[in-house]
Amino acid sequence: MTELNMLEAINECLHAEMARDDRVVVLGEDVARTGGVFRATDGLFEKFGENRIFDMPLAEGAIAGASVGLAIAGLVPVAEMQFLGFAYQAMHQIAGQVARLRYRTQSRFDPAITIRAPFGGGVRTPELHSDSLEGQLANVAGLKIVVPATAADAKGLLASSIRDPDPVVFLEPLRGYRGIRGEVPDGEHLVPLGSARTARPGTDAVVIAWSHQVELACRASDRLSEEGLSIRVLDLRSLVPLDLVAIAEAVDSCGRVVVTEESPQTGGFGGEVVATVVEESFWSLEAPVVRVSGFDVPYPVGMVEDSYVPDEDRIAAAVRRVLEVA
Amino acid sequence: MPFVFRLPDIGEGLDEAEIVEWLVQPGDTVARDQALVEVLTDKASSELPSPVAGVVLTLGGAEGDLLHVGDVLIEIQDGSSGEAQAPPTDPARNPDKAPGNAPVASPAIERPASGGRPKASPAIRKLARELGIDLAAVTSTGPGGRITAADLDAAGPESTASPTTPAPPPAVFESSTLGQMTPGRHALRGVRGVIARNMAQSWSEIPHIHTFDELDASLLLDFRTRMQGMGRTVTPLAVALVASARALQRYPLVNACVEDDEILVHERVNLGVAVATEGGLVVPVLEDADRLDVFATTAAVGELAERARSGSLAAADLRGATFTITNYGSLGGRWATPIIPPGQAAIFGMGRIADRPTVVDGAVVVRPVLPFVFGADHRLVDGDLLEAFKRSIINDLTEPLRLLVGA
Amino acid sequence: MTRPSDEQRRQMLVDMVSARTQSRRMWNLQRQGQIGTMAPIDGHEAAIVGAVHTLDPSCDWVLPQYREPVALYRYGPEILEHVMLYNIGHPSGGHIPAPIRVLPHQISLATQIPHAVGLAWGLTLQDDPGVVLVFFGDGSSSEGDFYEAGNLAGVLGAPVIFLCVNNQWAISTPTHLQTAAESFAAKAAAFGFPGVQVDGNDVDAVFDAVHTARERALAGQGPTLIEATVYRLGPHTTADDPTRYVPVEDLEAARQRDPIARLRAELEASGLWDDTVHADVEAAAIADIDAAFEKAKSTPLEPDAMLDHCYSQDTQRLARQRAGMLSGLGDQDAGGRIS
Repeated sequence: MTELNMLEAINECLHAEMARDDRVVVLGEDVARTGGVFRATDGLFEKFGENRIFDMPLAEGAIAGASVGLAIAGLVPVAEMQFLGFAYQAMHQIAGQVARLRYRTQSRFDPAITIRAPFGGGVRTPELHSDSLEGQLANVAGLKIVVPATAADAKGLLASSIRDPDPVVFLEPLRGYRGIRGEVPDGEHLVPLGSARTARPGTDAVVIAWSHQVELACRASDRLSEEGLSIRVLDLRSLVPLDLVAIAEAVDSCGRVVVTEESPQTGGFGGEVVATVVEESFWSLEAPVVRVSGFDVPYPVGMVEDSYVPDEDRIAAAVRRVLEVA
Repeated sequence: MPFVFRLPDIGEGLDEAEIVEWLVQPGDTVARDQALVEVLTDKASSELPSPVAGVVLTLGGAEGDLLHVGDVLIEIQDGSSGEAQAPPTDPARNPDKAPGNAPVASPAIERPASGGRPKASPAIRKLARELGIDLAAVTSTGPGGRITAADLDAAGPESTASPTTPAPPPAVFESSTLGQMTPGRHALRGVRGVIARNMAQSWSEIPHIHTFDELDASLLLDFRTRMQGMGRTVTPLAVALVASARALQRYPLVNACVEDDEILVHERVNLGVAVATEGGLVVPVLEDADRLDVFATTAAVGELAERARSGSLAAADLRGATFTITNYGSLGGRWATPIIPPGQAAIFGMGRIADRPTVVDGAVVVRPVLPFVFGADHRLVDGDLLEAFKRSIINDLTEPLRLLVGA
Repeated sequence: MTRPSDEQRRQMLVDMVSARTQSRRMWNLQRQGQIGTMAPIDGHEAAIVGAVHTLDPSCDWVLPQYREPVALYRYGPEILEHVMLYNIGHPSGGHIPAPIRVLPHQISLATQIPHAVGLAWGLTLQDDPGVVLVFFGDGSSSEGDFYEAGNLAGVLGAPVIFLCVNNQWAISTPTHLQTAAESFAAKAAAFGFPGVQVDGNDVDAVFDAVHTARERALAGQGPTLIEATVYRLGPHTTADDPTRYVPVEDLEAARQRDPIARLRAELEASGLWDDTVHADVEAAAIADIDAAFEKAKSTPLEPDAMLDHCYSQDTQRLARQRAGMLSGLGDQDAGGRIS
């Protein structure tokens, strides 16, 4: 075990996967010679060279589309969108081609494509750099969406994503790159996709969250535990495939649910979670489900950003609301 | 059988076409794919080729006619039967799956047991909370082990609904919410809704008769005082309960009810005792009251009342009464017309004991007088039975020492 | 100039005649309601067949748009079988089995162009010999994917042959409304590699141009953009009415340049072709497509086939949907635990 931040864990994973499998290639803007604008791909160019990691022209569509071709050629491309918001420039390839290559060709090819992208707020980025698009992407059948919340999971889930024969969109929280640290197992570490994790045990209510919101939900839970409240935190880890069983178990045990996410409320993945809670655990519900989320406006400017992104206080307040229902 | 060629949708969603010109006539021999007719659609003029080779039998319309997709266009004798095949829609069974890597189906989704928490819809949970019912103690009869509204009714409303209560507002203690509600419409639900439903049911189904009277409570009060002097607590209510139990044993038809056109005579004597609490009237049940003496009865009632006021009654405590006593006199009333709860045939209401002028041996004297009322289901209880039943209880209350003598 | 041999030319005419014959059969099938929308090949035969005959199917890939598949006999009879499966709307239509190096129809115009670049790049990274020939039309060349992919191919020096079959029309949009560039080939200047124009009705010219591009690519000299000029002799698809916008005189003039008539005349003059040969080729083509059609129609379809091959393994939710579909009770719409 070594204590690493999320960025270090991701970098360690990329080094290990590229060493393990010659077919793994990394492509993206500024990923090679400068090691990525956040240094996530640091050291890969020096170690593996110009035939394994590539600085791409500034063309997200071509990055995603070329990944399809590389996969057809039998390689395992790990493509980077420099920020998730710029994946919009590639959506016709991501949704119309990457997601469909297996379905269209009835598994003639394994689209073993991983698209990595940082996202999420709290770091005063310019427009489109913090947008949470996971709800939109989850509605594209054929994609898997993976959202690690801890450094150890970043390593383990990225390894699983790269080895997965289906296309995976791997979302990395900007605030978590340096802000989330933890013990990370040394050597090979695999966390399966489609499996949620209990980040805090509890019985009075459960907060269902993913990515950086998990960290905030845990802080809220710890604070509330000082008042004698037992608040579970369920870290989804994968949005697609979604761990229905874990959600059902958590809600059946607690009966009260808060869902928290950064994206705008309407159409956010939180709605999918609430629908799942109602479908799986209706008879266990003691109170209405409460959603904490961004507002239905585009991701705002820096001066007001902190009021937009759900924080520990808003999560705790939502938990109290849900406990208030007698 | 001739080959029937029906007008297809040739333009991505067109639903009709006009016959412009027939290129063949009945009797003509045609080759497969030979142009048969020119049709005009919204999009274009098109020639339609023959799906089969054969001899033209009949045309489906004249030039200028409008045909809809699916209408017969032409019939051709081709020596076979059937129509132009649309792409197959009936799935054919095949043990081999589609080519390529067949998906491995995930194992059946295992659901862990939910850890014994009661299952109920949010609406039922809310109702249970309002009724003060603990779901864990309710027997569920719904699908999947769910607690239904009927289950709650079976658990609570006979007692929580307190149909024995007539109107008089409680004078003993004032709740700050007593009689409070904002102008306008409000949903009739929760405790109020349950009470309303039970009242309406009792009132509409049970033909009530009531009989009112008073008794001299001197010996009753004296009995209490003398017991106190000996360090034993006995209440008039407890005496009334024991007296009632004796009377019910004596006249089992009063320990009964009408249910589904049948007379159900109860096996046990369970007495519902109305208790006023801050949350409203609750009626816990003293089970097998015929087996308790007056001291045990006093203690039991006291304990039930205490639990009622502290909100710690279980659902089981509110179920199964066969006869009810309401001591409305504790609120200060004299006469009342109590309503018999569903599942019972009679009710005994006691007013406030107060000094009144009464006639003894021809002289007017002041005595403590207990006013009371008996209500009965006239389907089961006629006046003579009611009188006899009432007489039994009155005799015991007038002279408590009769309790030592036995029925 | 690299000229195809007489035998190659004869074989190319066989492919061209077969393609047009089968395309016309498919047209009739559509008009009879037996298959869905299709794009007829009339006028494009030389550009497609001439190009494909330069390739080595054992190592070179072909990425079509949607008009070309009926002309890809060089890659085997399985292509036609899958064309017919595709036409009847069967899920297997998209599965062209390994090791055939052809991708299925691409409906989203130009998206196959970045795929071609990535594929060619992937081949060179693995020292896998072979080039990638990607087809697209004049209209597709206006899509962003063309420019992004062309630019990337230039930077990578990938062994791609960009073959723009300019048939003068993008449905009803003529080329002068599609671009102000002097030609489509000229756009290669933006990418940093050669752009070449050829007469797409001349199989020899097409063969030569593509052969040259292939040699360049195999020698590591990078991509080429070839614009093959043809004329669309039929409608865009079975859902189009060209009489509304194609000038009659242009069409008539184009018919005079019909690529099949042209090559046939040359081969007849050399004694390599005659009416009997022509009739036999047409008859064989009909027999092949009829057989492929029958085979497609009798291909089994499982009731839950629609749910296969989205993921390599069902997710929990998909498994539940599958169970609901198979139970026939509509439970896939019942959400979770209703009971």
